[in-house]
Amino acid sequence: MVERIEDLNLPNTVIARLIKESLPDSANVSKEARAAIARAASVFAIFVTSSSTALAHKQNHKTITAKDILQTLAELDFESFVPSLTQDLEAYRKMVKDKKESKANKKEASTNDNANASEAVVEEATE
Amino acid sequence: MSGNKAQLEERQPNANTLLPPSRVRTIMKSSMDTGLITNEVLFLMTKCTEMFVQHLAREAHAKHGGGDTLKYEQLSQLVNKEKNLEFLLQIVPEKIRVYQFKEMLRLNRSRDGDDDDDDDDDDDSGSGSESEE
Repeated sequence: MVERIEDLNLPNTVIARLIKESLPDSANVSKEARAAIARAASVFAIFVTSSSTALAHKQNHKTITAKDILQTLAELDFESFVPSLTQDLEAYRKMVKDKKESKANKKEASTNDNANASEAVVEEATE
Repeated sequence: MSGNKAQLEERQPNANTLLPPSRVRTIMKSSMDTGLITNEVLFLMTKCTEMFVQHLAREAHAKHGGGDTLKYEQLSQLVNKEKNLEFLLQIVPEKIRVYQFKEMLRLNRSRDGDDDDDDDDDDDSGSGSESEE
């Protein structure tokens, strides 16, 4: 599934940006520290995934759910992440729902009015 | 951990991710027989990896000397100290100097006679020792 080990690396530029955001403006990051954080982040994702998978299997579920991940984080002593993540998850669910609704609305509009339909297509393309 | 509560409270809920979800999916798939990964789970994992990156940087910088530049040593100290970062001990090991390493080998060797439970280390030190003549 993973052909090369580099496929597990997270992009350096994004990692650098995330680190910068969390430090005072004047602070820099050594190359070595950035590389170590990037590696640690990949390992963290694997660690949380396998722990959540184990948790799901214990409950006789085949696939992991958002709830499994949140519970796993709390068990792994990262409960400080859970409140923010729960909020983000709500925001994400809302975004997905809104997208679906606006798509449905556009469809409705297009069946009602052909001119509107072409407009909707243009809108979608420019998004 | 509770030290940065204020920072967490300032944070706005955010449905966007900075890290590429496709890459996070690859990472998740590399671990065990992860079945289906729903978009929601992928979002959550991407988000919590982002949070982890920032948590690591912030804590290492704040708790271990601050300074202008975040250094590797600050990270390895943090990993060594925090219990919930134990899984990173081999990923972010503390650096040691060659002379410290030699000192460790020497101590290991001098303990040699007493106990047998670290055979492997003794073998290492045996092969690592330079010919002294």
